[in-house]
Amino acid sequence: MAYAQAIFTNSAIYIIAAMGLAIFTGYTGLFSLGHAAFMAVGAYTAAILTYFYHWPLLPALLVGMIVSVLVSVVVGYPTLRAKLRSDYFAIATLGFGEALKVVLENLDLTQGARGLPGIQKLADPVNTAVWMVLTIWLCRNFLRSTYGRKIIAIGQDPVAAEMIGIRLLPNQMLSLAISAACAGLSGGLLAHYITFIQPAIFSMDLSSLLTAGVVCGGMGSLTGPFVATALFVVVPELFRGLALWRLVLYGVLLVVIMNLRPKGLFGHEELSLSNLPKLFMMVGLTAGLTIGAGFYKDYVQEWGEIPAWLLAAAVTLGATLAISYLGHGLAWLLRPALPRLGAVWNRHVTGFVRVLGGRKTQTAPVIAPPSPDPPVPLDQPLLRIRGLSKRFGGVIAVDDVDLEVWPGQVVGLIGPNGSGKTTLFNLMSGVYPVDSGSVLFGGRELAGQPPTSIVLGGISRTFQNIRLFPSMTVLENVQTALHRAGDYGLLAALVQWPWTVWATEERLRNGALELLDLLELRAHADRVAGTLPYGLQRKLEIARALALQPTLLLLDEPAAGMNPRESLELVALLRRVHQRRHLTIILIEHHMDVVMNLCERITVLNFGKKIAEGTPGEIQANPLVLEAYLGDTVEHVAIR
Amino acid sequence: MVLQTIITGLSIGSIYALMAVGYSLVFSVLNFSNFAHGAIITLGAYIAWAIMVHFFRLPFLPALLLSIVGAGILAFLNERIAYRTLRRRRAPSLYLMISAMGMAIALQNLLYATVGAKLYALPPVFTQDSFEVGGATISRMDLFAFVFSVVAIGLLHFLLMHTKVGTAIRAASHDMEMVAVLGVNLDVLVAVLFLIAGGLGGMAGVFMGVKYMVYPSMGWITNKAYIGAVIGGLGSLPGAIVGGILLGLLEALVSVTTIGSVQLSTYRDVFSFGILAILLIVRPTGLFGRFVEEKL
Repeated sequence: MAYAQAIFTNSAIYIIAAMGLAIFTGYTGLFSLGHAAFMAVGAYTAAILTYFYHWPLLPALLVGMIVSVLVSVVVGYPTLRAKLRSDYFAIATLGFGEALKVVLENLDLTQGARGLPGIQKLADPVNTAVWMVLTIWLCRNFLRSTYGRKIIAIGQDPVAAEMIGIRLLPNQMLSLAISAACAGLSGGLLAHYITFIQPAIFSMDLSSLLTAGVVCGGMGSLTGPFVATALFVVVPELFRGLALWRLVLYGVLLVVIMNLRPKGLFGHEELSLSNLPKLFMMVGLTAGLTIGAGFYKDYVQEWGEIPAWLLAAAVTLGATLAISYLGHGLAWLLRPALPRLGAVWNRHVTGFVRVLGGRKTQTAPVIAPPSPDPPVPLDQPLLRIRGLSKRFGGVIAVDDVDLEVWPGQVVGLIGPNGSGKTTLFNLMSGVYPVDSGSVLFGGRELAGQPPTSIVLGGISRTFQNIRLFPSMTVLENVQTALHRAGDYGLLAALVQWPWTVWATEERLRNGALELLDLLELRAHADRVAGTLPYGLQRKLEIARALALQPTLLLLDEPAAGMNPRESLELVALLRRVHQRRHLTIILIEHHMDVVMNLCERITVLNFGKKIAEGTPGEIQANPLVLEAYLGDTVEHVAIR
Repeated sequence: MVLQTIITGLSIGSIYALMAVGYSLVFSVLNFSNFAHGAIITLGAYIAWAIMVHFFRLPFLPALLLSIVGAGILAFLNERIAYRTLRRRRAPSLYLMISAMGMAIALQNLLYATVGAKLYALPPVFTQDSFEVGGATISRMDLFAFVFSVVAIGLLHFLLMHTKVGTAIRAASHDMEMVAVLGVNLDVLVAVLFLIAGGLGGMAGVFMGVKYMVYPSMGWITNKAYIGAVIGGLGSLPGAIVGGILLGLLEALVSVTTIGSVQLSTYRDVFSFGILAILLIVRPTGLFGRFVEEKL
């Protein structure tokens, strides 16, 4: 029994660290090979406090977590700021891990390589289990909040995230800090459970274990890493002979998983009815192996090698099967009951919260209703571009372009491929730095501003190559873009404080649904965005851009890949959106029917230069445009 | 003293350069950091040990040759097992990197589990171990390793610049898809790439084995070579060479420096990673690296 307890406690401790790594590596895609170092920081801090200063466990653990977070800020700020690619980030964290080890080996306070023996055994299975459950709960809450969605968005597509106004650095640092706090907690518990720590414990191997747990469990999930880490700790513990081969196994598993099942066990999935049996099977296997090994130990003396082994195998198989079928049964039982349970929960708990917190519940809609007054003064241009240029090496992609857009206009931007249309968008939205010229938006200079502040200032855009957050649902894609309205604090998000978080989340949900209604996407709200057909993905991108409540919307080939009927529907839809929301729109499009139908003014670019500007009629009659755009065989092509 | 430091630096730096070239070659075409390279280098050293000490007691040169070939083949197999499927599926480079990490962990610990953690010495190659030039001691082995590294890198340069395969590799480093469309068999090209990288790695492994010892975690030193490659700019061959040698020299300098009573040699590794961190922050593409911008 003591043995099973030890295994359980060990797994719980590592699971706490794995949850942290899942929040960071799993969601941002940045590999930390130095997570053992954060554990070391937590372990040494907590151990020194209880060992030399006789603090009780709780404050020591908390201080350990805080120090770990501080260290993560010091390490994370410069490395994350530099926007390193994931290889470089991995090696930088590896370096941090090794550097810390060298420091610990040479400090007097940590007693060098000898380590700290005889730490009080303050952690036991019970309080460790409590910490584990608490950690999982907090991590889950975090991911279900605005903060979590921002981090998930960054992991799925950093450029798209910036284009909906999510700043990369603070959010990535937040995720690293939470991750470091978990690692620090885990380290502190480990120190007070094994009662002896030395720098060598917090080696690359430990980091590898955690990484393997997160990758094999599934990046983008908490359930997966939980299961995988438990399995990785339990199996080698049981088969002592395996101890040497343990790391070989992790390594091979990483290779196999990446090649055969890159999403791991639970990639992007959390626990739900459909994967309940899978979870039970994994848990069953873990528990079965533990019980089987216990039987083997008890009977090997009496019965001899082979019978005991057979018994153990039978028990393992039996326990595994029993527990997996329990999972199937539970799923079968819950399937009809769950919607009803949900309804009951909604009626009573939500109602209860509403009654108790009545006044605090805000009811203001997230998306401001269309007001009769235009949001910007009408007597001056909304956007005034003067002499804008951009070169890439020897190529002048945008050459001294002037452009004026008045409030409420729909302006078409056309030109042959490679004429600089998208580059112009990229300059306006801050993706590329401006070489020369100015972009005045509502009187404010945009050149030199970071993309996020431009977006939040009222310009949002869609992309030529669709850039959604593919593993999120349609609804979540839009909800993520509503992050400015999710104005509760981090602490509230962590405990999911019903009176602020629940209410706000409901408002966000309703706001997002409203936008989905506008773009006729509501029926697909719960589908994973990446599985939508092409045309709907384009619409979803527009919905996401609208969620930022822009004054100016930049649409980059919204009708690309649509047939004539679909593009006519799109025209009707854009017209509706335009009228309803006092929008100003600049539209890049190759479908001439869309452009001619929708735009009141058209600007034509060729080789980075503006060659014409005017109403659709003027443009259609302009010989320069016909030559540039259509070549000289005008009679074969009709501009509708 | 200064001369001695420079000589020490060059001798380790040239080995770093040899290893860094392997990282850079693979990176230039496949755009990921092949973290399994360190394990291949270690295995190369173990092959030499097996041939020279454990089984056959062959002399140094044939052992070196066999190590080069053996490590090359191992690198090739490594590609087949761990990267090929991913490469064909055009998986994100993150996946390739994780797979490489897995391979590195598995191979290194395979050595622990089979051969054991013991340190083995390779027999001394030259009887008269060192000679003196202007007050500085030069070990013959170091000189040999330096010359051999220079020759090997020279050969590689020739191969890349003046042969068909080399031209294909250089072209692939700009656009792999295009090269495939032009009728180059990518599998063969990548195989050649890994054979070369592995061969150079095996050579470096043997030199390291002679200079230090042969043990499972000697691949750790290759992290320094990786740092060298990053300093020079991953994907650039001149960068890898300059970066490797530069790091070797800097480390040699740090090793002989003391501040107060603290010998900096204790913190040599911290120093290397520190350089890496500073460089990545100041110039994320390294000294010679190219920056590929994503199309939106």
